[in-house]
Amino acid sequence: MAERRKFKKRYCKYCEMKVDFIDYKDLNLLKFSLSERFKIMPRRLTGNCKRHQELVTVAIKRARQTALIPYIVDRKNVVENPFELIK
Amino acid sequence: MNNYETLYVLKPTLTDEETAANIAKIEDILVKNGAEILATNKMGMRRLAYPVQKNERGFYTIVYFKAAGNVIAELERNLKFNEEVIKYLTVKYTKKKEIAQFEKLVANANQVKEEPKVEETPATTEEVATTETTQA
Repeated sequence: MAERRKFKKRYCKYCEMKVDFIDYKDLNLLKFSLSERFKIMPRRLTGNCKRHQELVTVAIKRARQTALIPYIVDRKNVVENPFELIK
Repeated sequence: MNNYETLYVLKPTLTDEETAANIAKIEDILVKNGAEILATNKMGMRRLAYPVQKNERGFYTIVYFKAAGNVIAELERNLKFNEEVIKYLTVKYTKKKEIAQFEKLVANANQVKEEPKVEETPATTEEVATTETTQA
């Protein structure tokens, strides 16, 4: 049981920061909602509210299109520290 | 007139002059079509998250401008033809909150350049329509 709850339920970080709009170029804002492999984290794990999750989803998808963040991180070209890479 | 933001990535192999020339060319297209350029932000050379046309790096530039909708088609047509441009994305800002953010971004971009421009505060357009325009 303890293992299943790896992430404890949290409040919405974006609400706390009073973010009105998430810019796709602002990678620091997107980081909260990305997994190590640059997948979009589900709301149940991050605790984002619905409104901000929708905003961040659009932003992440745009960032992917413009090669700011990768679509996938696979085993073929492993990077030591992926978040260092994008800065 | 709508608020738009276009991000495009130039090839890393270009020299500084060529990069500047390409940026000027793209802005020229905008001006010719009656767009009003509010700000440009050169994010500079950065690593791409994945190789694009075998390039590992790219020169990022963002243009903020006001234009009628039909300008976008013309702009993107040109971006597509331009072989030095490897990626582009245009985003439209329609909702009130987005417009507020847009103005902030423009102000930021101008601040970086240290050009105290006149504050642009357009009458807020109607709060309708969708946001997304195009894809890269």
